[in-house]
Amino acid sequence: MKKLILITAALGCLSSLSACNGRKSQVTAPDGKLDKCTLRFSWWGGDDRHEATLEAIELWNEKYPDITILPEYGGWDGWTEKITAQLSGGTEPDILQINYDWLISFSPDGKGFYDLNQLSDRIDLTQFDEDVLKFGQVDGVLNGITVSVSGRGLFYNSDIYRRLGAEYPRTWTELIALGEKFSSEGFYPLDLDAQSGGTAWYLAIVYVQQQTGRQFITLDGQLGFTEADIKSALDFYKALEDNKVIRTVNIRTDEDGTAALYQSPEFISGRIGGVLEWGSSVGKYEMSLAEGVLEAGPMLSDENGNNSGWMIKPSLLYTISANTKYPDEAAEFLDFILNDGEAAKVLGTSRGIPASHTAEKSLEENGLLTGLAKENDRLLEELDTVTISPYMEIAQMKTFYNNAIEQVSFNAATTEEAAREMYVSINEYLERIKK
Amino acid sequence: MKKKYRNPIGVKSYTGLLLIMPFIAGFVLFTAYPFISSFLLGLTDYNGIRTADFIGFDNYKRMFMDSGFLNAAGVTLKYTAILVPLKLIFSLITAIVLNMQIKGMGVYRTLFYIPSILGSNLAVVIMWQFLFTSDGLVNQLLEIAGLAPVGWYGDTSAAMGIIILLRLWEFGSTMVIFLNALRDIPKEYYEVAKVDGCGKIRGFFAITLPLLKNVIFLNLVLQIIAAMQEFNAPYMITGGGPLKSTYTLGMLIYDEMFSYHDMGYANAVSWIMFVMIALIVCIMTRLTGRGRTDA
Repeated sequence: MKKLILITAALGCLSSLSACNGRKSQVTAPDGKLDKCTLRFSWWGGDDRHEATLEAIELWNEKYPDITILPEYGGWDGWTEKITAQLSGGTEPDILQINYDWLISFSPDGKGFYDLNQLSDRIDLTQFDEDVLKFGQVDGVLNGITVSVSGRGLFYNSDIYRRLGAEYPRTWTELIALGEKFSSEGFYPLDLDAQSGGTAWYLAIVYVQQQTGRQFITLDGQLGFTEADIKSALDFYKALEDNKVIRTVNIRTDEDGTAALYQSPEFISGRIGGVLEWGSSVGKYEMSLAEGVLEAGPMLSDENGNNSGWMIKPSLLYTISANTKYPDEAAEFLDFILNDGEAAKVLGTSRGIPASHTAEKSLEENGLLTGLAKENDRLLEELDTVTISPYMEIAQMKTFYNNAIEQVSFNAATTEEAAREMYVSINEYLERIKK
Repeated sequence: MKKKYRNPIGVKSYTGLLLIMPFIAGFVLFTAYPFISSFLLGLTDYNGIRTADFIGFDNYKRMFMDSGFLNAAGVTLKYTAILVPLKLIFSLITAIVLNMQIKGMGVYRTLFYIPSILGSNLAVVIMWQFLFTSDGLVNQLLEIAGLAPVGWYGDTSAAMGIIILLRLWEFGSTMVIFLNALRDIPKEYYEVAKVDGCGKIRGFFAITLPLLKNVIFLNLVLQIIAAMQEFNAPYMITGGGPLKSTYTLGMLIYDEMFSYHDMGYANAVSWIMFVMIALIVCIMTRLTGRGRTDA
C-alpha cells in the first residue's frame, strides 16, 4: 500500500510539473499551401453578430469547400473564463476573437498567440492603418488584428424622450437635470451597470478625464488619477443616483437580478431612457427595442464646450492560436473575414465600423455604412479622444471599480473611503502584474 | 450431483487487483492527480499561460491579509451554520410525517422528492431568480398576506436568505435517508413504550432520536461538505452580491482561477477550503463521541 501511495505521488508530481511548464508545444510554421482541414473559430456577441457571422461562414464554405469552419459563439458573460480555461489547457480554437486586454494577460511576451507577421502573405495587412495595427502588437510581435476601433457613446430610447418632451442632454448638467423630469413620470433618462459591463465607472472616468485632462490608467499601466480624482469620479456617480438619473444598484438588482442591461425587462419595456455602449456592440440594445427607436445622442461636454475625455480602443481583435496546426488556412480565413468585400457586406457593422479599408469601402458602396455604429463613430471622430489602456479592462481591475461603485451606492462607504481603497488596490495590483 | 468449481480464467493473486484497476485508474487520474497537482500549484505564482514560479507558502500568507478571502470564508461559514441545521430539522420533520400510515403516502413522498431531482440546474435557478425580484411571486404573495414586500437582492441578509431557501427546498435526499432509517425502527419499541405510558414527544426523544444518531451524523457530514463548497446558487442568483454578502469561497476560487488568472492562489484557497471542511468534520466526530466508539 505504501508503495502504491509513493508511486501515485511520484506520478502526480511529475505530471503536474510538466503541466506547470505551460504550453511548450511546437508552433507550426506556414507551409504555403491550403490543405483540406477543419478549423474552429470562436467569438462572443449578441444575436445580431451571431447571425451575421454565421452567414459569412456559410459564404466562406461555398468558396472554400475544403476548409470547414466550425463556429463557437456565445454572450460576453463568462466568455473570458471559458477562453482562459481553453488557453491554459491548450485546447483553444484556431481562430479567436479576442478582447484588447487579453493581449497583455495571455501573451505578455508575444508568444501567447501566433506571430501574424509570418502570415502577411495571406493576410493583407496593407488594408489597415499603421496606428490601428499597433493596437495588436505585443513586445514587437503582431498578435492581433484590430477589427474595428470603437468607443462608448450614449444611446437613447427616442420614444420615451419624445413622450416626455425631453431633449437628449449635451452637457453633464443637462443630464443630471433630466433625472427629476423623468423620475416624476416613473422613468429614468439613463442607466448604467456595475456588473460585467462596468459602464457606471466608465462614465465617471470620462467626466473626470474631461475635467482634469489626466488619463485614468496610462497606456503603459500606471494609475494616472490621483486619489482625489477617484473621489470626484465616485462623487459624480453618486450624484447620478441621488438625482435619479440612473437606478441605484439596489433597485437594479431587485428588478433585474443578475441579467445584463440589454436583457432587463425594464429596458425592454421602455422604462429606461438610455444606455452607454460601444458603437460596435450597440446592436444588441437596438434589437431589444422596436426598429429605429434607439438613437445616438451627443457626447457630453462641460459648460464651456470642452468635450475631451471620451475614450476609444480596438473594440475587438482577431488572432490565430499559437497551437494551430493549419496557420495558412487560418490566415486565409482571417483575410476573408477582415478584407473580403462580400464578407464585409454580410457582416455589416455587427462588429463596428471595419478598420479594414476594403471592408469599409464595400460597406460604403453598398450603402451599409449607416446605423448607430456609424453614427457613434462619427461623433467620436469629432472629439479629441483618449486611447484606453489595455490595463484598464483587466477583470481584476473591473472588480475594484465595481466594488467601489457598489459600496458607494449602498452607502456602505463614503466616496472618500471607497476612493482610498480603490487607489491602494489598483496601485498594488498594477505593480504585482507588471513584475 | 454437485458441480465442481472451475477456474476458467485462472484466478491468480493479482486478479483482484486487476479487477479493481478501472477504479484505481479513475481514482489516480481524476482524484489523486488533481489533488496533488492542486497542492503543488498552490505553492506557485501561475497564470495558466506563463511558466509557474515556485513561491513557497506565499499564497497562504497572502490569504490571511486578503480581506476578500476572509470575507468569503466568513460568508461560507455563516451560510453553512444556518443552512445545515435548518435543513436537517426540516427534512427530519418531513420524514416523520411521511412515515405515518396515511392513504396515498407514496404520492406525497414522490412529490416532496421532485425538487431534489430538479437539483440546481439552470432552469430552476433562473426560476428562483424571478421568484424574488421586486415584483416577483414571493413579494406578490407577501402583499396578499398583508406584509411589506422585501427588497431581496438589495438586502445583505435577505440575499443570503434566497440561497438558503433554494437549498432548503431541495431537502429530498436528506429526507429520503431519514425516511429509510425511520422505517428500520421496529414498531414494537413504540408499542412497548406506549404500554409504559410514554407519550409521542417523549417517544421521539427517547427512541427515535437515539436510533437515528448514525444517520443524523451521516446527513450532517454530507450537508456540511456540500454547503461549504456552495458555488452554483450564489453565482447564478446573486452574483455574490450585494456587497459580497453571498460571495462564497467557491466563487472566490472560481474568480481567482478563471477571471483573474491567478491559478496558484486559487489552488491554495481550495486547499484551505479542504482543510476547513476536514476540520469541521473532525470536530463533529469528536463532539458526537464517534471518535471513541468507531475508532
